[in-house]
Amino acid sequence: MKPLSRRLLSRSLRARGLRALVAFLISFALGAIVVLSLELRAELRTLQEEPVDSLQWNVTQLELDVVRLEAAVALAQAQAPAQADPQSQAQVSLTELRKRFDLFYNRAGTVTQGTMFAQLGLLEAVLPLKARMQGFLDSTTPLIDGTDVDLRAALPQILASVGALRQDMRVMSIKVIDMNAALQDSRRTGLSDILQMIAIASVALIVLLLGLLGLVATLNRQAARRAREVKRITSRLEATVGTSLDAVVVAGMDGLVIDFNAAAERIFGYTCAEAIGQPLGTLIVPPHHRAMHDAGMVRMKATGVKHVVDSGRMRMTAMRKSGAEFPCELSIASNDSPDGMIFIAYLRDISDAQQAEAALVAARDEAQGAERTKSNFIAVMSHEMRTPLNGVIAALEIIGRTSLDAKQARFLGLARSSSKQLLRHVNDVLDISRIDAGFVALAEDRLDLPALLATLVDPLRPAAAQKNTQIAVQLLSDFPPLRGDPFRLGQILQNFISNAIKFTEDGTVTLEAEMQQIKGDQAEIEFRVIDSGIGILEADQDRIFDDFVMVDPSFGRTGEGTGLGLGISRRLARAMDGEVGVESTWGAGSCFWLRVPLTVAGDVAANRAVTLASNLPAPNLLAPLLAVATSGALDILVVEDNETNRIVLEEMLRHLGHKVTLAMDGGEGVVAARAHPFDVVLMDLSMPLMDGWTAAALIRSEGASRSSRIIAVTAHARPDRMDRFAESGIDSWLTKPLSTRDLAAALTFDTGAALAGPDAPLMDMDRMAELAQIAEPQALARLLAQFQTNMDGILDSIDAHAAAAPSASLAATCHEGAGAAAVIGATRLHAHLARMEALCHAGNRTAVLADHAGLRALWDATRAALLAQA
Amino acid sequence: MSVSILRQSLLGANFALAALCAAPVFAQDMAAPTGDVILTVSGNIASSNGNDVLALDAELFAALPQHSFTTGTIWTKGTATYTGVLLRDLLAAVGAKGDTVMLTALNDYLIEMPASDALENGPLLANLSDGQPMSLRDKGPIWLVYPYDDVAEYRSEQTYARSIWQLNRIEVAD
Repeated sequence: MKPLSRRLLSRSLRARGLRALVAFLISFALGAIVVLSLELRAELRTLQEEPVDSLQWNVTQLELDVVRLEAAVALAQAQAPAQADPQSQAQVSLTELRKRFDLFYNRAGTVTQGTMFAQLGLLEAVLPLKARMQGFLDSTTPLIDGTDVDLRAALPQILASVGALRQDMRVMSIKVIDMNAALQDSRRTGLSDILQMIAIASVALIVLLLGLLGLVATLNRQAARRAREVKRITSRLEATVGTSLDAVVVAGMDGLVIDFNAAAERIFGYTCAEAIGQPLGTLIVPPHHRAMHDAGMVRMKATGVKHVVDSGRMRMTAMRKSGAEFPCELSIASNDSPDGMIFIAYLRDISDAQQAEAALVAARDEAQGAERTKSNFIAVMSHEMRTPLNGVIAALEIIGRTSLDAKQARFLGLARSSSKQLLRHVNDVLDISRIDAGFVALAEDRLDLPALLATLVDPLRPAAAQKNTQIAVQLLSDFPPLRGDPFRLGQILQNFISNAIKFTEDGTVTLEAEMQQIKGDQAEIEFRVIDSGIGILEADQDRIFDDFVMVDPSFGRTGEGTGLGLGISRRLARAMDGEVGVESTWGAGSCFWLRVPLTVAGDVAANRAVTLASNLPAPNLLAPLLAVATSGALDILVVEDNETNRIVLEEMLRHLGHKVTLAMDGGEGVVAARAHPFDVVLMDLSMPLMDGWTAAALIRSEGASRSSRIIAVTAHARPDRMDRFAESGIDSWLTKPLSTRDLAAALTFDTGAALAGPDAPLMDMDRMAELAQIAEPQALARLLAQFQTNMDGILDSIDAHAAAAPSASLAATCHEGAGAAAVIGATRLHAHLARMEALCHAGNRTAVLADHAGLRALWDATRAALLAQA
Repeated sequence: MSVSILRQSLLGANFALAALCAAPVFAQDMAAPTGDVILTVSGNIASSNGNDVLALDAELFAALPQHSFTTGTIWTKGTATYTGVLLRDLLAAVGAKGDTVMLTALNDYLIEMPASDALENGPLLANLSDGQPMSLRDKGPIWLVYPYDDVAEYRSEQTYARSIWQLNRIEVAD
């Protein structure tokens, strides 16, 4: 850029210098020619007016006249007069002599007096001649003018002086002629010099002019070439604009159309001739946008601020000649042209594109809807299958406790394993649906990796032992305290280990955990399950993580597994931002790995089990609780994986006079809760395999205890995920370490820890939104209508039973109503009915009746809110 | 200026006179000279005073239309007023028919010129210089002069050559 501009600058300077030089030279040559021509003209004029030839003539004539005079004198002397006869020859010769003298006199006068010699610059040269002639005339004239006698007497003297004069004049005249010749020579030389200079100047001028002519021709050629170039570019541009599929409309600062291309004609319906000169606003802007357009133009003119111009692509509505409006994509550029600012609008009719887009979106929505319907169907089916299946399993359990003969026991075992297998399959399908629907919420619980791995492996040891296979756990790193979802992590690893056991005979299965790296608060952990089994063919390694893939035919024959296990594992790993994979050699074994980022826990909290154990209540504190015991024993399910905690909790509850059932993990808790209607479920949140959240949600979803109060037991000083309580159907929570007093308070309704009470929101909007998302609109409407009918019936039933309160049938009805309200998200109604139920169980007639009084009003309010929703 | 106006009015008067009495004046019987003849006109002329020749003495010459101008010449010092008859007027007066005029001097100098060169501001047959008759010693009796100072074209070699002095004969040729 710089060198170029410098070069251009120096070129222009050079050009300017050259121009000045040429102009100077031409002026100089012209000036020289003019000056020389003037000089030449003057010289020629002088030459023309000069009596040059006359000088020669006069000198010759002078000499001739002298010779003639001499001859006349000689003749007169020779003819001496015989007598005084005027006609005599002697007299005639005298007259002739006098005439000759006069002629010479006249000639001499001409020479001496004339300006001829002065004009020729020969005055000096002529002076001696003049003096000599004057001398002769002075001496001779008196004689000529005298008498004939005197004249005749003086003839010899005159003859002598004329002879002398002739000789002198000869010499002098030759000298004058020589001098004149020299003078004329020099003048001719001068003239020739002038002519030569004129010629040189002329040649120089011609050369210069030829040069200029050449320059002009070159410039002309360049200009023509440039003109051609410009024309070519212009025509190319015109062709480009003309063939553009987008409308190109050019307008000036005054908003009047300057140009309108073919596409614009086609899109808008105006011809170019119609459009040009028309205001853009009335031409293509729809009437209802016109005010805005005009205001924009005015603002831009006033302030120069452009909102639309040069701001890229945007969508607007434009109008055709017919008045029809259509959506368009528009970008406007501005340009400073020599005639002022112009605006170039590129405009694309996108009505077709929009229609196509809408059709595409509709098709996609339809497809997604169909897919969702299918998924929902599978989920619902699995779900519906699970309920009777649980019943079957529970029934089988009960049969198992009766006395059976060997054959019955064998078939019962078969039925139990088959039904458990079936439950696993159903759960797998449900898992897939849930994960795919994005319904899997990952916990951020504290992870005790060594404990977790041990817990995973232990239940599987018997199965491994049957195949004479050893299971080993190896921790290859020191792990910082971590947070993550122990249940999902366990699910993946358990799947790996189960697979490894299945394909390994007389070998080993090793579970390894190793920390790969820590970045900030993220630790990347790799888990490996290495077996010495049969391995996997390389061709199969890529597809074993796909759904419904079973590489071992025998595996399929046994009917174990759906082929979904690894698919679920991969989905879960990805949900945790992790990855799963396999490395295997056929015949030598396999290594399944899981790499997953886990959060490094900031606080190093003490082991919760230890704190719980140290907080055993003192015996003297039990006294106030006896009152509670008398108010009515509750049927309580304790779900707690830690044995110590379990024992402590059981002991405390028994002291409070309640009936206690124990479950050792989430899954067991769910099974128990579904099988039996508990009044209260005490749920530990942090459990391996299935955490408290999940278990609570599952209990709420179905079964005998779906309307039970679920109280979470957590180590967190203050639960940071309150929303998850409501989501999982947890009513309240207790913080570890537990005291008997807190426990007793939580079990009555005097605690402020209850989430749902009179102050609870009327409706759980999130729940409604969730329902709206899951269910089709018609289905939702039907559900709501059914709920209202159902609830009306329940309220009637409650009214009918109220007189006999508290009764078991009233409690059952309240329970049913609370469940229905919970499903629909009628939080306050649910809480109210649940409390009535609890009070019924507690036998508190007064409180039940008090609550019953406000029930109808609450239902009306809830119904109004529901209608507002619908 | 005044000279020019005078000359023009004189010319006009002469033409009128010539038109009125062309035939009777220029008849065969033109008056014969009584004094010394200063100029003879011969050749193709309509009027003469004997032997087809018109001989003019000073008196007859003075009777012809007179014209004068003042000029310098390359042969004289200063300027002088020359008076005489315009060649043109003379040719008209003699009823010259020829195209060429030949003029001869006493010293046998001879010039020839087309009759058409005899212009109204052209050659003057002067016999007076500053009112005085010109002697033979001073270019007399008649000198054919031009107004060199007034007319640039007359300051030329040809005109100088035609400025014949001591003129005494004119012949009109075809």
